[in-house]
Amino acid sequence: MCKDLHYAYLDKFTALDGVSMHVARGERLALLGANGCGKSTLLKVLDGLIFPDRGTFHAFGQEVTEDALEDEQMSEAFRSRVGFVFQNSDAQVFSPTVREEIAFGPLQLGLGREEAAARVDDVLAMLGIADLADRAPFQLSGGQKKKVAIASVLVMNPEVLLFDEPTAALDPRTQMWLIELIEQLSGAGKTIVHATHDLDVLDRIADRCLVFGEDHRIVAGGTPGEVLGERALLLEVNLVHERTKLR
Amino acid sequence: MTELIDRPTTSTPEWLLRAEPGLCPCGCIGKRHKGSFVEKTLRGGASVLRQVVFSDDTATRGGLLQRVDPRVKVLTMVGLLLAAGFVHSSLVLVGLYALTLAAAAASGLPLGFFVKRVWLFVPIFTGIVVLPATLSIVTAGHVVIPLWTWDGTVEGITSQGLATAARLVLRVAVSISIVVLVTLTTPWSRLLAGLRGLGVPKMFILVIGMAYRYLFHLLTVVMDMYEARKARTIGKQKHDKAARGFVAATAGVTIGKAHQLAEEVHQAMTARGFRGDAKTLDAPKLSLRDGVCLLTAAAIAFAALFVDGLLV
Repeated sequence: MCKDLHYAYLDKFTALDGVSMHVARGERLALLGANGCGKSTLLKVLDGLIFPDRGTFHAFGQEVTEDALEDEQMSEAFRSRVGFVFQNSDAQVFSPTVREEIAFGPLQLGLGREEAAARVDDVLAMLGIADLADRAPFQLSGGQKKKVAIASVLVMNPEVLLFDEPTAALDPRTQMWLIELIEQLSGAGKTIVHATHDLDVLDRIADRCLVFGEDHRIVAGGTPGEVLGERALLLEVNLVHERTKLR
Repeated sequence: MTELIDRPTTSTPEWLLRAEPGLCPCGCIGKRHKGSFVEKTLRGGASVLRQVVFSDDTATRGGLLQRVDPRVKVLTMVGLLLAAGFVHSSLVLVGLYALTLAAAAASGLPLGFFVKRVWLFVPIFTGIVVLPATLSIVTAGHVVIPLWTWDGTVEGITSQGLATAARLVLRVAVSISIVVLVTLTTPWSRLLAGLRGLGVPKMFILVIGMAYRYLFHLLTVVMDMYEARKARTIGKQKHDKAARGFVAATAGVTIGKAHQLAEEVHQAMTARGFRGDAKTLDAPKLSLRDGVCLLTAAAIAFAALFVDGLLV
């Protein structure tokens, strides 16, 4: 649960301006908004990577602060329960090989080497990328990197998955694969939060939407059907153009 | 689903809707210019990338050395480099070089490529040192090629100097051959795992691995920027103040992007539980084949030193 979050980059460029929200267990929530409205910043706050200048963020009954995450036990518990798939897969895939990349998370969180290696094999097989296991990241295509980034998060089996622009720059086949994976993970009870401005797949990946205005505040919320029906609102927050036809 | 209704949405300038005649409508061929140093440097970078991909291909072939554990290869490499460093007989060095060629052939490496790769570096490492050593003013002895007279004494290239130079060149060639053999038959990631297995600190390995990984990423960024500029440059590319300004601006942008990327990578690591002490997968266990390789390399090193002792 977030209450009145404020965040500004370099104390100058506002990214969040009084954002309050909650995410229920097992929910699929989409954060909608135009470029630069603060969606990615909010996801980073939800993952405890950056901390708000003002306001509070509670997760799993605890307040998440920089100090709290200094605590080894709290940090381990939080990191193992929340997974974050970055928009930029190049930043997320940093190890020399795909196998080591996927093993990174479980090993940092204290899983034994044998168990971690077994999990890596399972995830590689599940995502159909076993043939990439010993490849270097610079030899992968954009779609393959995205799959490796997702594998590196799924291997930790987190309760909450945060996706930043999950379908951006993916070819149609990989996009559909990802949407089906999100549906499958949601069916398994995972809580999923996406930041997106892709309205085409909204009804498949979200139960509820929060709409960001260009003033970095949440201006509306509702089911995908309700939000897509508010044409004036979508126009105002720059999610559609006046000549865009919604189907 | 969303789609745009088919109506113009912006006020497009009139000139943009008109066909622009090309700069050379007759289709003639103009003057050709050689590429700039920036282009050559970037092409060099792209060629390094291709070589790395090629090295990875050779490293995954099923040859003799590819089957050996990287830790064993690193150990034998160090041992054989030490042995080559202590050998004084050119004959023994020739023998060691012949062995590296045999190992390259048995590992399925193209011999022409292997020899070229080694001898490309030998002049760089030895040229400056070797040339003065052949002269009588550095290595005294029997002058075989007289060059000048100094105070009534003929000075020039001596047979002893030539022998010393040949020995040094051979030693460098053997040493580079051994290193190239290991790098061409071991994937980079396994080489890192091998170093880790030999007790090199994990953090050191992690930093090297990441530096190597992002070097290619940033190289691609720089090449993209250069190509984007080239695509919009009409006529001859000048090597003037503007060109130098472009290089400086590219360097600045790349540093900025690298900094931003570094921050994001750190966040990605933190998000997966990194707290300053990186834990990594174990290197695989050693096999009998690795033991045989280690013993063979030790035998070669001792044999080289023994024969060298007899000959010198």
